[in-house]
Amino acid sequence: MVKITVNGREVEADPKQPLIAACHGHDVDVPHYCYHPGLSTVGSCRMCQVEVQQGTAPGRVMVACRTYPAEGMVVSTESEKSHATRRECLEFLLKNHPLDCPICDKAGECDLQDFTYQEGQATGRSKEPRRPLEKRHSLGDVIVLDQERCILCSRCVRFFEEVPKKAQLTVASLGSRSVIATFADQPLTGNYQGNIADLCPVGALTLKGFRFQARVWNLVKMASTCAECSRGCSIQVEVLRGGDVKRFRPRENAAVNRWWMCDTGRFAFDHVNAKDRLVNSLVRDGHGLAPRSIEDGIAAVRALLDAHSDALFVASPFCTVEEGASIQALAKRRGTTALFVAPGPNGLKDALLHTGDPCPNRRGLTELGLQPIEPKELAKKLASSKAAVLFGERVVELAGAAAIAALPTSTALAVFDCKAPDAAACTVAIGVPTSVERTGTWINVDGQKGPIAAVKPAPAGVRALARHLAALDLRAEAARS
Amino acid sequence: MVIVKRKELSLSERLYVPEIVRGLSITFRKMFEKKITRQYPEEPLVKTEVTRGQPRLVVKDDGAIACVSCGLCEAACPAYAITIDGGETDRPIEREPKRFDIDMLRCILCGFCEEACPKDAIFMSDELELADYSRQALVYDIEKLKRPAAAMRRRIEYVNRINDRWRDAPRPPMLVGRDAPHGAHAHSPAAAAQRPHAS
Amino acid sequence: MNDFAAKVGLTGEQLEHLLAILVRNTVILIGIISVAAVMTLVERKVSAWMQFRHGPNRVGPWGLLQPLADGVKFIFKEVVVPNGANKALYVLAPALAAVPAMMTIAVIPFANDVVLFGKNWGPLVVADIDIGILYLLAIGSMSVYGVILAGWASNSKYSLLGGLRASAQMISYELSMILAILAVVAMAGSINLREIVESQAHGGSIADWNFWKQPLACFLLLVASFAETNRHPFDFAECEPELVAGFNTEYSAMKWAIFFIGEYSAMAVMSSLSVILFFGGWSIPFLPDAPWYLGFAAFLAKTSVYLFLFVWVRWTLPRFRFDQLMRIGWKVMLPLALVNLLATGAWLTFFGPPGAP
Repeated sequence: MVKITVNGREVEADPKQPLIAACHGHDVDVPHYCYHPGLSTVGSCRMCQVEVQQGTAPGRVMVACRTYPAEGMVVSTESEKSHATRRECLEFLLKNHPLDCPICDKAGECDLQDFTYQEGQATGRSKEPRRPLEKRHSLGDVIVLDQERCILCSRCVRFFEEVPKKAQLTVASLGSRSVIATFADQPLTGNYQGNIADLCPVGALTLKGFRFQARVWNLVKMASTCAECSRGCSIQVEVLRGGDVKRFRPRENAAVNRWWMCDTGRFAFDHVNAKDRLVNSLVRDGHGLAPRSIEDGIAAVRALLDAHSDALFVASPFCTVEEGASIQALAKRRGTTALFVAPGPNGLKDALLHTGDPCPNRRGLTELGLQPIEPKELAKKLASSKAAVLFGERVVELAGAAAIAALPTSTALAVFDCKAPDAAACTVAIGVPTSVERTGTWINVDGQKGPIAAVKPAPAGVRALARHLAALDLRAEAARS
Repeated sequence: MVIVKRKELSLSERLYVPEIVRGLSITFRKMFEKKITRQYPEEPLVKTEVTRGQPRLVVKDDGAIACVSCGLCEAACPAYAITIDGGETDRPIEREPKRFDIDMLRCILCGFCEEACPKDAIFMSDELELADYSRQALVYDIEKLKRPAAAMRRRIEYVNRINDRWRDAPRPPMLVGRDAPHGAHAHSPAAAAQRPHAS
Repeated sequence: MNDFAAKVGLTGEQLEHLLAILVRNTVILIGIISVAAVMTLVERKVSAWMQFRHGPNRVGPWGLLQPLADGVKFIFKEVVVPNGANKALYVLAPALAAVPAMMTIAVIPFANDVVLFGKNWGPLVVADIDIGILYLLAIGSMSVYGVILAGWASNSKYSLLGGLRASAQMISYELSMILAILAVVAMAGSINLREIVESQAHGGSIADWNFWKQPLACFLLLVASFAETNRHPFDFAECEPELVAGFNTEYSAMKWAIFFIGEYSAMAVMSSLSVILFFGGWSIPFLPDAPWYLGFAAFLAKTSVYLFLFVWVRWTLPRFRFDQLMRIGWKVMLPLALVNLLATGAWLTFFGPPGAP
């Protein structure tokens, strides 16, 4: 560790880390485009220039991402000289930038916008026409490249080289004709393409799935955890006007996913945006499953439990540890142990993040004492038992919707799920919220806690599973006394 | 401190009755003066170029609206009257509104949307009458908001003229490099610290 | 007609007389209610003109059908009875406010002997009784019950305060009003209203009007009638800025309208009374032998001027403070009325009744 002075404040800095990291570490902001803590540094954007003084020499303007702290270094990020240099640098970056912010999806979270406002360069001086390039260049199924907006920071190029370790992008051509391109114009491949849209400091790389879907300032953003696999990547859920989830984006978490997430998880919001939700409850009468109030549904579950003392308790792997504990407590009180559906590896496992295990809370539920059970075995077990209660989001889907539908009517089935099950055996079904509509905790494969957050309200007539479990418990108490 | 002396009242003023008669004579005379009330439906409001009526989307000569659904009017709207959902289009502007609703019952005719619009797509028309049988009918969608540019020419020209006032003003000196006067920009560390680290 | 009379056991003359009474009284009653309706329009029109506005002009030509539209609206509006209201009194109060005003009409002589179909039907008055003024004052002062009961029964602090103020004010000004009237009565030597008119009419000149003999009494009666009818500048019973709407705050629909019918009827009665006492009633100057219908028209014209004065004053003067109202009532009006009465009495004692040789 060395002592340096940043803006008149003496701080400790790691000489192995670039100066910009030291500044950021001490809450001193240095604007930058090409630097990213998760990538190698190239110093191509020149935006992070700060005034550095060493010894008795006069201060020099240097790029903070390629300069390393040395003992006695005096750094000024706010000096007139560094500001002037950054302004000149911005003017060059904006020379060919199309300024189509009204159209650009990045507007509102764009570093180029932010730093331009911050550095105060309000107008441009160039009268020459801007360089026309391709505005809708597809790079595979996930990414669209707007070549005009690109400032050639090369973060995306370095990402593919350094994180999935498979180079796919490069800077093609020379001079003002330089563009980002794939090798031989092949589409991008791999499960991590989406990250380059987050990395891009301008609106050059955008997600096809999010293109023109929403203005970013209209999105309500909350920290949550990815439900795709047992890695439990920290994510940010973004919801448009309390309605649909529009984006999952990775959230920095050094212990789990650093800055990245896979595309499978990134686009896994079809389920939470599904419109065919089960609200209130469905109770089987002479004609089939008929809509009833929640209280009627709970009473029906209660009746089922009273009629069958050996009913199976099956939780969904999406159940939080809080829900899992309640289910297990309910099961224990009846002298049994709860199970949870645990489908085997789905073949998406890779070396970086995806574990291939589709159960986000496998570890948490296992530690609570719930027994994992493969869908095939579960189907057998269900078919041979008199009654079962299935708890939690997507439990029918993961247990195998076809297998559940094929269950003989001799098995009385109570289901707590987001969707109405299509099963002859099902006697009662009650709606529960999805993972963006409730709060709780998942434990990932490494034992890291992953909080999930209620980013939007559950539909009317849908209560948290915990409330249903409490209602069941209360009625059990009442029945006993 | 100023001491204002109470006015000494004359005898007739103290007697009150003569003053009442004076008051009565004033009101009686005023009965025959010209009425200043405008008889509204028969005498319509005088509409000038500065009249801010309900906002309308201008249809350009090619038959399309200029809106790219950037959402700035939505963000500027103090009454939350505007709701926009964007989508992709094959036109050169790439992006167009799939849904552009203005709740006319919420709209307060402030004109912020017109001011915010970077594409000269929305202007305040001189239409002021608003009546219908349901609230839903007064949430205007794109089709109801469309107006040909010819119908709004006066307002468009007025707004352009107002904006030209700034356009034609002498430009401020370029604040780049050595041109920049010393301390021209106060960069407060507090403001800088507020911005989260962009990674 | 005579056959029918015989069947019901009356002579033809009796039946004729009965029908005449029926027609006359109905006409007068409908007339007074119409006056109330027309006055609402007049009030709105005059106030509008004084404020450079047009006033109601959408219903019918010049808004003439506005009272009708208002009436229809009032009938169809919901009657809201507030929580905790004394319902019986609450319903009774508007009637109590309006009925006395209508009853007092009975003794107002509108015209001299009506000659119609070649027959003299007697003067145009419901009840030509000898104690006309006494009756008028007795019944008229009952209208305060309507106001104070409305205030009490509404279970509202604003209504109650309005009712209290109204009662205090009416009682205070009743005194000076009666004393002012007494001076005229003393001079006329009669409390029959028709005879008072005739006492002013016999000479056929303006000089015979009591106004010239009793200007102070006339002024006092004018002021007192503003207070008695709760009109500006003494409308403390309503007093919008302080009491929302005073005693009628909690009233709605037709019940509310009945208060106003009462108020305008009372105005019409007070105007008629003033015209009768001071401005010669139906008599027309220089035309002592005018036919009855001209006299009736003259009476209406004089009363209209008085009614206009009520409206005119309302839209000119600001409201007094309540203490000012009381001070004027007890410390100015009452002494003046007493002095006036004493002076009149003294004059009569020493110089005899006017006109007498």
